[in-house]
Amino acid sequence: MNEKRIIGNRIVIPIGPQHPSLKEPGCFTITLEGEKVVHAVIGVGYNHRGLEKACESRSFIQTLYLIERVCGICSHTHSTAFCQGIEELSGITVPRRAAYIRVIIAELERLHSHLLWLGVAAHEIGFDTLFMYSWRDREKVLDILAEACGNRVNYGINTVGGVRRDLDDNVIQGISKMADSLENQLKYYLDLVMIDTTLSARLSGIGKLSREDAMKFGAVGPVARAAGISYDIRTIEPYGAYGEIPVKVITDDHADVFGRTVVRIREMLESLEILRFCIKNIPDGGIAVKAPRRIPAGEVISRTEAPRGENIHYIRSNGTDILDRVRVRAPTEANWHGMKHMLEGQYLADVPITIAAIDPCYSCADRAIVINSGNKTEVMDWQRLRQYSIEWYKKRGVDMASVKMPESKAYF
Amino acid sequence: MQDEQTSTVQAEQAIVEKICEKFGFLTGKVFVQRKKRILTQPLDKEEFEQLLHYAHDELGFYRASHVVGTDDGEDLGFIYLLVNEEGVILALKERAPKSNPQINSMTGVFPSLELHERELVDLFGADVRGLPEGPSFPLPDGWPKGNYPMRKDWKPEYFDRKTMTYNPPREDADKEAKSDE
Repeated sequence: MNEKRIIGNRIVIPIGPQHPSLKEPGCFTITLEGEKVVHAVIGVGYNHRGLEKACESRSFIQTLYLIERVCGICSHTHSTAFCQGIEELSGITVPRRAAYIRVIIAELERLHSHLLWLGVAAHEIGFDTLFMYSWRDREKVLDILAEACGNRVNYGINTVGGVRRDLDDNVIQGISKMADSLENQLKYYLDLVMIDTTLSARLSGIGKLSREDAMKFGAVGPVARAAGISYDIRTIEPYGAYGEIPVKVITDDHADVFGRTVVRIREMLESLEILRFCIKNIPDGGIAVKAPRRIPAGEVISRTEAPRGENIHYIRSNGTDILDRVRVRAPTEANWHGMKHMLEGQYLADVPITIAAIDPCYSCADRAIVINSGNKTEVMDWQRLRQYSIEWYKKRGVDMASVKMPESKAYF
Repeated sequence: MQDEQTSTVQAEQAIVEKICEKFGFLTGKVFVQRKKRILTQPLDKEEFEQLLHYAHDELGFYRASHVVGTDDGEDLGFIYLLVNEEGVILALKERAPKSNPQINSMTGVFPSLELHERELVDLFGADVRGLPEGPSFPLPDGWPKGNYPMRKDWKPEYFDRKTMTYNPPREDADKEAKSDE
């Protein structure tokens, strides 16, 4: 508190650790001259949980469950990168059907992650109708994920050597149906972004990161692609079934928040095409092969394209079932460095949307709950939970039952 | 099969040859692990820095992904992962003894390494010279000095989160217990 906050005509304000753009903590110390940001210091690390240390005292199968919990939104990409690394060290080839299932879950994850981002970004600029729309549409994807994996987030579908669950015809049909309805919505959002003058006026020129700066600061994912850098691990190093699937890399040359919005919406449309290709061409066969109990000694660098960008896992094995070192480089970690550059020169009012535009990571809570009442314990399933929420609101004068959600109800 | 494997790593092999041509002393220390992966053996500080500058200036490795710190017994290991436009990863390894874990910061060449090098300081106790000023990362304020949680000899079970103190059992405790018996 003794720190000097006013220096000449400059004022230093700490935005965070609790701040307006996200639900996750991060401290952005901003130096202002009038309304303009002249200097920014990024203070992160509040959520460091010591997962990598924890991995060094557990078997690689236990580690897989920890790795899945690195991120609540893109858990599948982390478990895929980790499994791929272990499979490479052990010399295991995953069955083709399992590789396709991994791609299907990865693209569903990309869809729900981008829809979540679209909602958050809309909320940051005061466009709450779009926020409600995109989060409503995200439910369609989460419903499919819940049916395919048994959970909305932290799907737990990956295992070393393949996947733990097969996709049945209901899920495949559900994906096809969801893809059709979501495509219409996404096209509508794309039109909205391209035509609506308020939206483009609010987002254009905000959070600029040129192609040169994106390269210099090591930006990845939609942040880099919106600056015209065609860098996507799915095409640079096609992993799993991506080698057989046509993937179009989406780029844009706006190099600002507007460009990042366009890239993410177009990427969702591309994800739908990938999903359609997968459900049409998914081969029959087994879904997993047996993994050895011990991992041969060696080191491996495994990477995947997470919704937010390149995700890299470094894994070193010492020949036992406990790994010597696991280092996870999540995409947000790469995008922090460009953030400081993006903020400097901006107006204070643009700080929240600029921070949100790199899509920093925060967790989504599971909806399944266990109720303890006295000696009685019961588990609430999805249907009962949904019914409970409708009744909860009805008692308070809001009748949610009159809201039509045909797509969501269709799967349960 | 061998021919097929050789042809798929031609670009990577060409990079290794360029490196060995420029720095003869690196012959045998830089190798292609597989497609899109070039690794080095642990290098001396001078060798490491020369190669890193050359990779950035001449070989098109414009992006630094991150740095992996490792505890290698008597030494600390530092693996710098650089990437070029084709997505080839060049993993440069540097090593420093725990008794004097001093390395030079590479943020002058790759500004994106700032947070990763701070992590080496906090978690591994590396002495990174030339790091720009800024808040520490990722350990909280008040973390006890001299405690580097990613070193193998640091055990989380001996850390008291309430008092923020590290209380390992005394080495002579076992001996005392035995002599009492």
